[in-house]
Amino acid sequence: MNVRFSKQEEDFRAEVRVFLEPWRDLDGFFGQGLKWKRVRELFCAMGERGWLSLSWPEALGGLGRGPAYEYILWDEVGYARAARNPLSAGIVARSLIRYGSDAQKARWLPPIRSGELHFSLCYSEPEAGSDLASARVRADREGDEYIVNGQKCWQSYAQDMDYLWLLARTGTQESRGRGLSLFICDKNAAGVTVSPLPTLDDDQLNEVHFDGVRVPVSDRVGPENGAWSIMGEALADERHIQFPPGRVRRDLDEMVEWVKGVGLAGDPVVRRTLADLAVQVREVEIYGLLVLDRMQKGRSAAAEVAANKVIHTVVCQNIARAIVDLGGPEALVIGSRPQLLWRQSMWETIGGGTTEIMRSIVAKQALGLGARR
Amino acid sequence: MDFDLNDDQRAILEAVEALLEQHAGAARAIELQPKGEYDASLDAALADAGFSDVGRDPDMGGLEATLVVEAVARAGGVVAIGAEAMVAPMLRDEPLPTPIALATAGHGGAVRYAASARSLLVLGDREARWVALEPGDCAPVRSNFGYPMGRVSAEGTTRGDGLGVGSAARLHTAWQLAIAAEAVGCMEAALAQTVGYLKERRQFGRAIGSFQAVQHRLAECAIHVEGSRWLVREAAYQRAPTEGVATAAAFALSAAGRIFSEMHQLSGAIGFTREHDLHVWSMRLQALRLELGGVAAHRRAIVAARWGGVGS
Ligand SMILES: Cc1cc2nc3c(=O)[nH]c(=O)nc-3n(C[C@H](O)[C@H](O)[C@H](O)COP(=O)(O)OP(=O)(O)OC[C@H]3O[C@@H](n4cnc5c(N)ncnc54)[C@H](O)[C@@H]3O)c2cc1C
Repeated sequence: MNVRFSKQEEDFRAEVRVFLEPWRDLDGFFGQGLKWKRVRELFCAMGERGWLSLSWPEALGGLGRGPAYEYILWDEVGYARAARNPLSAGIVARSLIRYGSDAQKARWLPPIRSGELHFSLCYSEPEAGSDLASARVRADREGDEYIVNGQKCWQSYAQDMDYLWLLARTGTQESRGRGLSLFICDKNAAGVTVSPLPTLDDDQLNEVHFDGVRVPVSDRVGPENGAWSIMGEALADERHIQFPPGRVRRDLDEMVEWVKGVGLAGDPVVRRTLADLAVQVREVEIYGLLVLDRMQKGRSAAAEVAANKVIHTVVCQNIARAIVDLGGPEALVIGSRPQLLWRQSMWETIGGGTTEIMRSIVAKQALGLGARR
Repeated sequence: MDFDLNDDQRAILEAVEALLEQHAGAARAIELQPKGEYDASLDAALADAGFSDVGRDPDMGGLEATLVVEAVARAGGVVAIGAEAMVAPMLRDEPLPTPIALATAGHGGAVRYAASARSLLVLGDREARWVALEPGDCAPVRSNFGYPMGRVSAEGTTRGDGLGVGSAARLHTAWQLAIAAEAVGCMEAALAQTVGYLKERRQFGRAIGSFQAVQHRLAECAIHVEGSRWLVREAAYQRAPTEGVATAAAFALSAAGRIFSEMHQLSGAIGFTREHDLHVWSMRLQALRLELGGVAAHRRAIVAARWGGVGS
């Protein structure tokens, strides 16, 4: 066992920290939609250094480095609160690398790598949230095209994105996960309507309607009805950077700063709370590293990944709740930091698969407790 | 021993619910929210029908006022009914100009309803004070927690008339109980809303509410809400004893945190959007939790009431 990063990896961390200096005031991790222009500039600056394609094969314009570099990069970006890792260089690129045709790779990977092209994740639907295999947006083949009809909802940032990463049904409804395919769809294609769903944090999610949208067959990624395993593999490729512990470390550091600022640092009850949270943050970090280890060895680790999501998001909430509880009514005012932290953490246990679904995965994969069938 | 409401109490509850059906509700609350507006017409309707004053009726009192406050909270009414029906009658025989906001002396800060209030009741160390507010005394502040908020200046809390010996303790207790009663109403409505949604919402071919893991959590929440309701009503019935009120508040506001998290978690993404009504009650629970020092202060009040001050 060795829980240290190598000298080269630590040097890379130092380099990332220096790079991030001008971006430390961006705060694009929260409310990205309100700061998209600068967040996109950050991604382009990262793209220039090849950091959006750190682990891609060199033949595809990547740097061919190991997952540890990506982990360090997003851990530092998360700590700096600069941005969340973009979907385009994440799930989209990894799916294309594994399953895209040569033409697709040539067309999409360069602008993704440079940070210029961005995607919205169009998976969830009004009737298909946790039960994604029941998705019903249809893509029916007509010659060289698919005709897409139906509705997606809860798309984050879709208002700013260029393309849609679309999950749609090409098989029967009964075929569930085996009847779904993935497509790249131009957000500006005729028949696509993106409309805002105002959210409680004064930001928005979106609904995306498809009304007879024509998607060329050449924009289907992977085989027809092959979406399920592609999605699973892309998520697995991303598992070490989806929940950077840096974000949680930063939450706690901000809480400590805030506690000092309001003169509560000597209060024994507050100190006890901080100690408790500090332990939880260590749990988040050790789980993050465990997932990285599994990733580096190419081991499947569904249970650890699910557990990591639960721990990470729940600890974010515990910190936010603690700070709001100490903050009093002032923590209710828009613009106050406790208020922001709280509102940004409350939904983390839902998006990207709920805590309940993650726990079911742990029960099944780690404990062998299968569902009654 | 009889936990059922008597005929008069039932009549009051039915009448206020009928009025609220007409004048309040989630849609009305959502309509007022963006403007941070106070529901003056609802306030007037409640006052005209005598509901704001049941706490002053010699034949009735705290319990009836509590029932009214719970009902208004269930209906998402944007009125300072807790201060009007449960707090003001404990401090002065004559009604105060409404709306009434509640603040702590020496604390400038965000206060529910302060921007539209005409009276401010201020909790001081020894005495409570009543401040007649002038327009513009309290600036509105932007908040998203279901109540219009205003900022009271620290100076503003030192003006006004003292309300006499013992008034501070009376204000503290009545305020605590009013928060708890309002939390009960919000919790009931949030739970009912969520249970209704989870009976309808289907995933994996079944209603989400049919999953046992979900049922157990909802059942736990229901137990907490029920406990809160009866502790609050008992304290009101017993004429607001300090320890009983602090206990009810500690229990109910602690439950409020749990209800908030569980209802939102179990509602999924839709609960995060403004199109779903849950936020009308859930966000208020969060605001109520922080008032008057929050759960930690309510707990300290229990200890102080039962065992006296630390070191004495
Ligand atoms: C901030 C945010 C951003 C999002 N961004 C995107 C995006 O960009 N693109 C996209 O496609 N989607 C996005 N989503 C949607 C997200 O993927 C879904 O919210 C999530 O999959 C859960 O689905 P749901 O909201 O429909 O909840 P539901 O599936 O309706 O679940 C409601 C509740 O029931 C629980 N539950 C469900 N089934 C079970 C069970 N079998 N046992 C026990 N409990 C159960 C759930 O855990 C949850 O607590 C986002 C959501 C949020 C909150």
